[in-house]
Amino acid sequence: MISLDDVTKMYGTDTVAVDGVSFDVAKGDFVFLVGPSGSGKSTLLRLMSREEVATQGDVWVAGRNVSDMSLSRVPYLRRSLGNIFQDYKLLLNKTVFENVAFALEVIGKPRHMIREQVPFVLELVGLAGKEERFPNQLSGGEQQRVSIARAFVNRPLIMLADEPTGNLDPATSEGIMALLQAINETGTTVVMATHDHRVVNAMRRRVIQLDRGVVVRDQERGVYE
Amino acid sequence: MLARIEYALRETWASFRRNLTLTLAAVLTSAIALLLVGATFLIQRAFENLLVQWRGDVAMIVFVRSDASPEQVALIDSTLRAAPSVIDVDKLRYLDKAESYAEAQRIFAGDAVTLSLLTPETIPTQFKVVPLTPDTDLVRSLADQYRTLPGVEAVALAEDEFEVISTLSGFVRTVTLIMSLVLLVVAIGLIWNTIRTAMFARRREIEVMKLVGATNWFIRVPFMLEGLLQGLIGGVVSCAGVWALNSAWTSGVATFKPGTGISSLVVPAGYLSGVMVILLALGAVVGAIGSAIAASRFLDV
Repeated sequence: MISLDDVTKMYGTDTVAVDGVSFDVAKGDFVFLVGPSGSGKSTLLRLMSREEVATQGDVWVAGRNVSDMSLSRVPYLRRSLGNIFQDYKLLLNKTVFENVAFALEVIGKPRHMIREQVPFVLELVGLAGKEERFPNQLSGGEQQRVSIARAFVNRPLIMLADEPTGNLDPATSEGIMALLQAINETGTTVVMATHDHRVVNAMRRRVIQLDRGVVVRDQERGVYE
Repeated sequence: MLARIEYALRETWASFRRNLTLTLAAVLTSAIALLLVGATFLIQRAFENLLVQWRGDVAMIVFVRSDASPEQVALIDSTLRAAPSVIDVDKLRYLDKAESYAEAQRIFAGDAVTLSLLTPETIPTQFKVVPLTPDTDLVRSLADQYRTLPGVEAVALAEDEFEVISTLSGFVRTVTLIMSLVLLVVAIGLIWNTIRTAMFARRREIEVMKLVGATNWFIRVPFMLEGLLQGLIGGVVSCAGVWALNSAWTSGVATFKPGTGISSLVVPAGYLSGVMVILLALGAVVGAIGSAIAASRFLDV
């Protein structure tokens, strides 16, 4: 589903964010990218969603070579990805329903599909009954559920999560991780960057550890260390 | 497809209202710029009414009495042709009654009193003379000579009538053209700025749209429509302005003393509607350029 082949990303001429990284992620996998701040976790996610372009090497995502993809193809790549972030990136002037509907609306989905899918996904993430609330009226955990609903509503092949529990307390984080696991069980590949050792240790899934842009450990059923 | 169109229109309208002051500034500036463009067209066309009889380097017109006999006309013609070193014989033209009458319709356009006195029977015919020499004294002495010929009603010299108007019209054209060009650029700049501001105000939405896979065109279209609409509204306002100005002017000059030439500075209705169509199209182009530059440059907010 995802394949990185000797990928290097440099900013300018002397800042190396990712240095010769290679790994494959199979369909339906759940992978943690761990490591200290600045180790290249977020850069790897941004390379996969084509927000950044690799300086060297190939990045394959969902059967497409992202490294030499024309700009006009990028939106279609993004439609097969679901992105979630530490800061949720919700639109504060839109309700929960509208935030999720927006993701379908702007890729041109018909209205009957939106009316059908949005309540279904909100129910799935445990937000039934809160459709008309605004993000500011929700807790952090609930806001992250809205952003997961928005990422999942288009049934992506891959979920890319950048520190999704970074702003949440342990109990709330557990709920979010259970949700991501449930989504993973529907066959969606999940790649999650985190330095939250509690969630990594609780899940016991594949762990890829980075240090200064280099993979130092790639372990099935790993822990944070 | 329907959902996309609906989305684009809804977003355009919402953005329009959100940015009302900037939008008004952009619309008014384009309207004033286009109004000047329209005025330039109309003024040029009006001046042409006065200049039409001197078109093609004509420097002297010999008017022939309407009751002149064919022999007298032939004599005038042969006299003119007798000076091939001074007069360009190849360009010498004789306008018969019908042609002279048609030309008079333009020269006296808007001068209802004079027009009502003209008939194809009573109108003087005329010889249009293109001199070969730049020596105006020589041309003037020839004119004095022709005035004495039988059947000649009058001899008019471009030097006396044409040059002041020609210079004036050229000056007015240059000034209005430069001013309208500058204002058009300002209008494009203002529309660009309005669209840029609108995009900045919605940068979070644009970020999310890109994130979930909206195409750049999908993101751009509402903004481009907004700019197009601003230019188009400016065009409509300028059309109303041009129409109002022209109506006021036309009814104003109609009360002028006949024969002063001022009253011929009017344009036909068909020409006015042509100018209006041009202004609408130009407004749309101005809006499209301004918003296209903004939408292509500021998508990475």
